[in-house]
Amino acid sequence: MSAMTPAGDYRTSYRADMTIMATRNSRIALALGIALACAAPFVLDGYMLDLLVMIGIFGIAALGLNILVGFTGQISIGHAAFFGFGAFASAYFHEHGVAVVIAIPLAGIATAVVGLVFGLPAARLKGLYLAIATLAAQYILEDFFARAQWFTGGVAGRMTESPTIAGWVAGRPESFFYVVIVAVILMFGAAANLMRTRDGRALVAVRDHYLSAEMMGINLAYYRMLSFGIASFYAGIAGALYAHYRLFVSVEAFTILFSIQFLGMVIIGGLGSIAGSLMGAAFMVLLPEVVEGLANLLTGSAIDRALRLGASISFLREMAIGAAIIVFLVFEPDGLARRWRLIKAYWKLYPYSH
Amino acid sequence: MDLTLLLPLVLNGLIVGALYGVVAMSFVLIYKASQVVNFAQGEFLLVGAWVCWWFLTDWQMPFWMGFLFTLAFMTCFGIILQVVVLRPLIGEPVISVIMATVGLSIFFQALMKWIFGVFAKPFPPIFSAQSVDIAGLQVQPVYLLSLGISLFIMAGFGWFFTASKHGLAMRATAFDQQVAQSLGISVPKVFAMSWAISAVVSAVAGVVVGVVNGVSSALSFYGIKVFPAVILGGLDSVVGAVLGGLVIGVLENLAQYLDAEWLHWGNMYAIAPFYALVIILMIKPYGLFGTRNIERV
Amino acid sequence: MRSMIPWLAAAALTLTGAANAQQRIPIGQLNDFSGATSDVGVPYGQGVADALAWVNAQRQGVAGRPLNVLAVDYGYQAPRAVSQYQAWARDRVVAIQGWGTADTEALTRFVTRDRIPYISGSYSAALTDAGGRSGRQGVEATPYNFFYGPSYSDALRGMLTWAAEDWRRSGRPGRPKYVHMGANHPYPNSPKAAGEALAAELGFDVLPAIVFALTPGDYTSQCLTLRSQGANYAYLGNTAGSNISVLRACQTAGVQVQFLGNVWGMDENAMKAAGAAANGVVFPVRTAVVWGQDAPGMATMRTISRGSDPTGNVYRPVHYLAGICSAMLTVEAMETAAANGGEVTGPRIRDGFYARQNWVPRGFEGVCNPSTFTAEDHRGTLRVALYRAVVTGDTSGGSVAELMAANTMRLEPVTTIDLPRRPDWLGW
Repeated sequence: MSAMTPAGDYRTSYRADMTIMATRNSRIALALGIALACAAPFVLDGYMLDLLVMIGIFGIAALGLNILVGFTGQISIGHAAFFGFGAFASAYFHEHGVAVVIAIPLAGIATAVVGLVFGLPAARLKGLYLAIATLAAQYILEDFFARAQWFTGGVAGRMTESPTIAGWVAGRPESFFYVVIVAVILMFGAAANLMRTRDGRALVAVRDHYLSAEMMGINLAYYRMLSFGIASFYAGIAGALYAHYRLFVSVEAFTILFSIQFLGMVIIGGLGSIAGSLMGAAFMVLLPEVVEGLANLLTGSAIDRALRLGASISFLREMAIGAAIIVFLVFEPDGLARRWRLIKAYWKLYPYSH
Repeated sequence: MDLTLLLPLVLNGLIVGALYGVVAMSFVLIYKASQVVNFAQGEFLLVGAWVCWWFLTDWQMPFWMGFLFTLAFMTCFGIILQVVVLRPLIGEPVISVIMATVGLSIFFQALMKWIFGVFAKPFPPIFSAQSVDIAGLQVQPVYLLSLGISLFIMAGFGWFFTASKHGLAMRATAFDQQVAQSLGISVPKVFAMSWAISAVVSAVAGVVVGVVNGVSSALSFYGIKVFPAVILGGLDSVVGAVLGGLVIGVLENLAQYLDAEWLHWGNMYAIAPFYALVIILMIKPYGLFGTRNIERV
Repeated sequence: MRSMIPWLAAAALTLTGAANAQQRIPIGQLNDFSGATSDVGVPYGQGVADALAWVNAQRQGVAGRPLNVLAVDYGYQAPRAVSQYQAWARDRVVAIQGWGTADTEALTRFVTRDRIPYISGSYSAALTDAGGRSGRQGVEATPYNFFYGPSYSDALRGMLTWAAEDWRRSGRPGRPKYVHMGANHPYPNSPKAAGEALAAELGFDVLPAIVFALTPGDYTSQCLTLRSQGANYAYLGNTAGSNISVLRACQTAGVQVQFLGNVWGMDENAMKAAGAAANGVVFPVRTAVVWGQDAPGMATMRTISRGSDPTGNVYRPVHYLAGICSAMLTVEAMETAAANGGEVTGPRIRDGFYARQNWVPRGFEGVCNPSTFTAEDHRGTLRVALYRAVVTGDTSGGSVAELMAANTMRLEPVTTIDLPRRPDWLGW
């Protein structure tokens, strides 16, 4: 963090140490960024906006996973199942007469409760045992979704509706974009603040050294469970947003590959970085588009004919996801967030950067 | 009780379970030697089976030759993976290592689909004999052979770890890397060797399954089924892995029996091992034979 | 200056008018080239794509406007199809050549709202109740959904009718036993209730359904269950890829049962892959002839095939021909919409589907079977032509074309069942 302050560390109070925005410039940059984002629907076409909406939704879910993986050091290979639970819950609530704007936070809470239930045993496991347990949870929940006709609509899935706020319908990417922006600001702001609280720091302590943390009076089981609950809450909110954006939820979407994609977002964005979650989500959403763009560039060429690029585009996308995860782990284990800090530091210190 | 259904199912479970046991053993080998939980174990089966299929069909090789070529290929494959991907991650947190193998798993699954397509492709017929009847279950000879191969591999592992120099080096490394190193054991070599052996043994299992059912992406699911088996047996126990594999194989088929006779849910066969996995993790996370680490807090 | 405005406006109008005449007609094409049903999705999608490319090249598109085919591989994932649909709706496509049951049923409400005709590869009976008259629980009006061929339910009814006859002819004692097999997925589930109801009506004992996934795998335990149940007739609800695994496993387990495939459950490629295990499977075929046979329309078919295979040597499975027939129905409905200077819009294309009786696309006589659509009833045909897969030798060597030519594999006509157009079967 010190690289972000002008020069040296002048902070003299705990209060100053805990501020989110260290300088006036970063406050201005944030305000400008939000204003710029709000203007996006007037310049970008539906396709680009669709991508931005997906980045926002996945960013929220990835942030939840980052709180679990990056801040608490617990791994989950079942995040997509919780994302899916949020989506189904919101659609279910709406089906039973709850307005969408209320159904979304309600779905978040419901998912958090489910997360706590799953977190209860998870609190006793760690590392690879937890990874394997969540892997099992992923398959069990998928099976549950396919079976629970009353809740999910079974294998056929469930239709739902767009959010309506006082007669304004957010049914198109242009309008839903604002819903997502508000959600992103709320959720990311909440996470940034959470990390300044006692609970937030306790989570980090659990990650860094669980024995020391326990000796300092931190209740390990409680905080691991809490972390699971928070992660599920974020996944639930994101899933609910997804449901009311796509207007159709089906068990087919929430596969193990989707879970792994969330983990990929967290790793690529940067473990334990709040802004990194959004960057990782952007990377994961844009990566398949880039792969497809490259394949399209080669359409008709000899390479295309030899490698059957056109018909294999979905395999290429999956390979790109796997490769991206490995490449980042090997070459940039701290993710895009660190790269971003380095770039900022470079310009801040220009021309005297070392 | 309908014994005409139950017995063949249990027998089928034992045959499939022996294969799970072989895969679980090669999983445990990597974990013991290098403390890496390999989520890409199933892809070893997949790659091995496809490569063998390719040698046999596109190159028209006789079976023994294609099979030997496959084993040679898998040796290199395992070593390269370890050196290129896993070696840089030594000392990184367990999450990073897990994610790297998960990344490998996705990558190779997609790569194989890209190269060989998504359909099951049959091996050219290897045995002229049709099926053999055992206790009411028609068994292909290759299944019996697979049982034989599994037993042979298990015996081989037993000898390897108790009598051979490399096996003892591997056990020493698993026990304490620093001490092993100071005794003149090359730890990087042991790591690479463990990956190579694991890849080869898994590929044998992959070829066996491929000969019976045809080669397809379904092979990579063996890598997932291995988790209930190794957790039951204990993550670092070779004997446990074999037993775990057999138990899970039989359990699957018993679930199918329950399903067919009474429940009619339709999916118990696929999902029962995961329920078993969760239950084992709750009550006995270090498994039947695993080293009792302080993994529960 | 002011006096110029009308002129400018007029010029602008002519310009846009001219541009309109040249403007390409956007049409969506949803393919499964990589997912669970890609085994049959590839030949079908290839057929649709080749047919539309041929229409552009040989007939200058529809009414002089070339088609702009927006093709996408969605990997058989309904959520991806929905998001793709939303992108297409923004691009104002006038019609969509769709694919799977889960996604088509998920999209019915959208296409009805946006009035975009949707010609699916799914033959789910729930898509046939165009007017919403059936009054069945959960079945909505689907005025914009069409498909070429008998519905899954009707095809299964046809096979059951044949099976009852077959049982009687064999002279075996007792009641025949029928079992439904397939994944827990909308597509295999679609005809389940209808089939079991008719089977009971025809005097079958209906056994508990057996589940197996849409992907290839080891289904030995399912086959052991099947054998222990003692089923005589088993419906395979999945596509060829996983059906092959079941057929092979059941052959090994020594199961004696007459398998009934669905339209997507068996084809020439699957026969080659399954070998002797596929011998005897009875399944419906949607075209009057198969590749290699002759009919007036086959010349056109071969021309179309050369679009993606200049050598003319590739064997085209039944799904390729069905894909062409389905695409040509759409094209002719669009031509009807465009006739007499009409605009090519969704509702007009839908009306184009109602314009003909016993409709065979021109140039495809003797290949595509006649279809009749009405505003209340989208069951295009109730005629189910049943074929039997016959495999007499080793299929591991040689291409499909060679094996078919050598008669090692062949498709043998069994019978043709004409089902009554029962109103209580509409939408079911």
